[in-house]
Amino acid sequence: MQQEVLLAMLAKEPSAGYQLRARLDRALGPLGEAMNAGHVYVQLGRLEKAGLVARREPTGASDGPDRGVFELTPAGQERVIAWLGEVSWPKPDLAEFHLKLIAAATARIADPLSIIDGQRQELLRRLRDAQRAVMAEPARSDAWLLLEGIVLRLQADLRWLEACEGTWTERKGER
Amino acid sequence: MGRLLLIWRLAARDLRRRPAQAALLLAVIAAAVTALTLGLVLHGVTAKPYTQTQAQTAGPDVVASSVGYGGDSAAFAALAHAPGVVARSGPYPVAWPALQAHGVSADVMAEGRDQAPAVVDQPKVLQGTWVRPGGVVVERAFADALGIRVGDTVTLDGEPFPVAGIAVTAAVPVYSQVCFYGGCSGPAGRPRQFDTGLVWLTQPAARGLASPANPLTHYLNLRLSDPAAAPVFVSRHQPPPGNGPEALTSWQSLSAAAGTLVSQEQNVLSPASWLLSLLALATVAVVAGGRMAEQERRVGLLKAAGAAPSLAAIVLLAEHLIIAFCAAGVGLAAGWLVAPLLTSPGASLVGAASAPALTPATVLLVVVVALIVATASTLVPAIRAARISTVRLLAGSVRSPRRQGWLIRLSSGLPVPLLLGLRLVARRPRRTLLSGASFTVTAATIVAVLIYHATVHHDALRAGPYSGAADPGQARVDQVLLVVTVIMVILAAANALFTTWATVLDARRFSAIARSLGTTPRQTASSLLVTQLLPALAGALLGIPVGMALYGAVQEGGSQAGLPLLWLLFLVLGMLAAVVAVTAVPASISTRQPIAHILQSETA
Amino acid sequence: MNQSGEPVVRARGIRKDYGSGEGLVRAVDGIDLDVIRGETLAVMGPSGCGKSTLLHLLGGLDRPTAGELWLAGRRIDEMSERALAHLRRSDIGFVFQAFQLMDELTVLENVELPALLAGRSPRAARRRAAELLEQVGLTQRTAHLPTALSGGQRQRVAIARALANDPVIVFADEPTGNLDSVATTELLRLFDALHTSGLTLVIVTHDERVAATADRLISMRDGAFVGDTRLAGGTTGNLARLAGLDG
Repeated sequence: MQQEVLLAMLAKEPSAGYQLRARLDRALGPLGEAMNAGHVYVQLGRLEKAGLVARREPTGASDGPDRGVFELTPAGQERVIAWLGEVSWPKPDLAEFHLKLIAAATARIADPLSIIDGQRQELLRRLRDAQRAVMAEPARSDAWLLLEGIVLRLQADLRWLEACEGTWTERKGER
Repeated sequence: MGRLLLIWRLAARDLRRRPAQAALLLAVIAAAVTALTLGLVLHGVTAKPYTQTQAQTAGPDVVASSVGYGGDSAAFAALAHAPGVVARSGPYPVAWPALQAHGVSADVMAEGRDQAPAVVDQPKVLQGTWVRPGGVVVERAFADALGIRVGDTVTLDGEPFPVAGIAVTAAVPVYSQVCFYGGCSGPAGRPRQFDTGLVWLTQPAARGLASPANPLTHYLNLRLSDPAAAPVFVSRHQPPPGNGPEALTSWQSLSAAAGTLVSQEQNVLSPASWLLSLLALATVAVVAGGRMAEQERRVGLLKAAGAAPSLAAIVLLAEHLIIAFCAAGVGLAAGWLVAPLLTSPGASLVGAASAPALTPATVLLVVVVALIVATASTLVPAIRAARISTVRLLAGSVRSPRRQGWLIRLSSGLPVPLLLGLRLVARRPRRTLLSGASFTVTAATIVAVLIYHATVHHDALRAGPYSGAADPGQARVDQVLLVVTVIMVILAAANALFTTWATVLDARRFSAIARSLGTTPRQTASSLLVTQLLPALAGALLGIPVGMALYGAVQEGGSQAGLPLLWLLFLVLGMLAAVVAVTAVPASISTRQPIAHILQSETA
Repeated sequence: MNQSGEPVVRARGIRKDYGSGEGLVRAVDGIDLDVIRGETLAVMGPSGCGKSTLLHLLGGLDRPTAGELWLAGRRIDEMSERALAHLRRSDIGFVFQAFQLMDELTVLENVELPALLAGRSPRAARRRAAELLEQVGLTQRTAHLPTALSGGQRQRVAIARALANDPVIVFADEPTGNLDSVATTELLRLFDALHTSGLTLVIVTHDERVAATADRLISMRDGAFVGDTRLAGGTTGNLARLAGLDG
């Protein structure tokens, strides 16, 4: 997860580390549990080093990274605004699977169709889980929206697998 | 010009796509037009035939029969020289033999005539020749009633006479009313066997038929200087009334007598033709409405392709006008062909034989009515379709079914055929009402005809000399009524068939859904039957009082025999049975198709 | 209760042909299938593969050209139309892709119709309809006409109607075909609830989500089955990675 996310979460008001963690948890729903607790503090440390956040010491003395309230520096604010305006999108990673199939076919060590079928089964299993998770959340909640996104991406991937299956079946027929 | 051509081509192509429907529509309008034509022709004929006959036979202004003078032959002879008389023929000897022809016995007035033409009243020979020694000429209506033709041999008081010719005259009252005016003679005490007819012989032959028990009488034809004053002449010279008929009759009375015969038929045909036009209007409205539903998509396509809304409406209107025009032609032709059979007015009159049945005025009126019928029933749907947005037209959602909440609630507890049938009826209230109206009109007509028959037979039993069955006026009216009833029933059947077909098509999706929810084929077919039976039942029941009122209105008072309940029951059951017969086949066909196919082909 | 192991649907060698000679189209080609009581079966495939046709055959809405078909223990491929109608009344519920509701009836009247056709009293039918509409979450809309409802709501009315006579099995043809994300979620929740209550469901779908939530997924191509899987689940940990949370 990008550090800019934490920056953006500090834009509303300065917060302590544990508060940030709590907010992230809520926004991610059931997936929040998978997030590493320490990860947040590591990120905050890096941001502090980069000069994008500043730590405000509490009244009592402390040396742990989980103490203290963090706030945005002016540089940090600029960075947030710039980040909000960016339109980059997470990279899809189709090339690996695509090349896997070609390699298997060329080297004749495996049948592309069975590779596709196996992958399809796995994706379907994941889709099943994702869909069940979606069904457990109230519609249009934050968690629901995130999980729905997973579902739809899996669906898209499955459709691509279908296209792969169709194409490789035809190639098999031609041989 | 290009626009007209476009409209013509679009309309013609669309008609070719659905020839059966166009043919049905044409037949329906043609049937109504035929009846209308007959009515108009008859109406046109009424006023004139006596005048025509009078002109062609040098008809007299006053006729006198010595029967009414009893034994006072001097007064009778003096009439010939009365002031105001400018010409005369006769007095001719009249014998009263009994005629036998084709196994039927009839009484006749046998007038003795010269072979040479007379100045006043020279009957017009239509077939064969005028009187010759040994031959007899028969009056046309009488000849028709007995089926006598030129060349036949008839006997008069046992003596054979070959029939030399058939003729008409304006001087003697129209057949079946002969005795009403001048009076009839004959052997005393013998009841009349048949309505008295008229024949002509040579004078010696007539005299030869007389006997002391059955003496000669005489007949005199007079022409006055002032024909319009004939009734005045008659009242001045009428002998004092005895127990018998009046001796003198003016031509105006004779004309009126001729008129009543035709006006009887007129009385029947005129309202009948308007009723038929109404029925045709209703049928065409149903047909047009049904076509409209399919057409709406086409209109949408036309509009989507850039045609102005008015163009789309005009094309549809044009199609129906084309059909109406052709139907008018067919109906006029049919009416022209059928008219002589019905409108040989009293057959005593010249009318049908020589005068053309159709005048330009009649043709124009008929065509206009046909066009109006077609336009009126298509105008509303066409305008609607033109005004509604193209998208809605293409989506086919324009003629969505209506909702009648009360009817749906009412049907809830009923057995399945009624449950579904009532709901189907509720979906298309306008079509149901139209259907009910057409059934009402049909039933009313049949009821009126039945009342007529009942009244006539009732009267005939009480009536005197007329045997009723052979009364040609009666026979003609019966013929007219039969033709009208037959056309009416055909129209009604066509209406029922079309309404059923439209309902079945419209109800396809509804029925398929119902079947998918567990309706058996028999229940489905029954529900479709119900949609037709309900308006039929309502129409039949409503038609009874309407028919009675109709008869009363047409006959303008006069007695009205009550109809036995059994007849009415038969009428209602008969109509229902006919509807079932017409509906059963389309209804059961519709339940055969697999549900999946129907639902996939019908849009939601 | 549920006697699992006893098939509700049994098909052997089902074939459906359209046309003849040169124009012969074999929509369904030799299908064998057993559907166990209480299971949810999803049939997936590209358009034109014959899955809708198969569903119509299994549901008794069309007759197979060849093969044997048993439903609820009775042989239906040779049954008379009348007997099939009785079966539709009591054992089968069908949910059409285009909903096929009657537009002139309110939601409540649509749902009570099967019960009325089966001969139940109007009051009993109405009560049952109200229950079902509550189950699908449409109590607010009982007096509305279908045209006033969204696609998802109409689909739920169609499902409620299919359940009216307590069928043994429900066939659904592309139930999420016209629905958006939220409506799909709600519909799948409904199917889940029905599944839990013991209903046997056969769903034809092109939506992988629907297929993924079924007990068993069959893939069809060109009128024949090409895959038959039972899906088991993984853990939510996988999902986090799919969401981009690397921990």
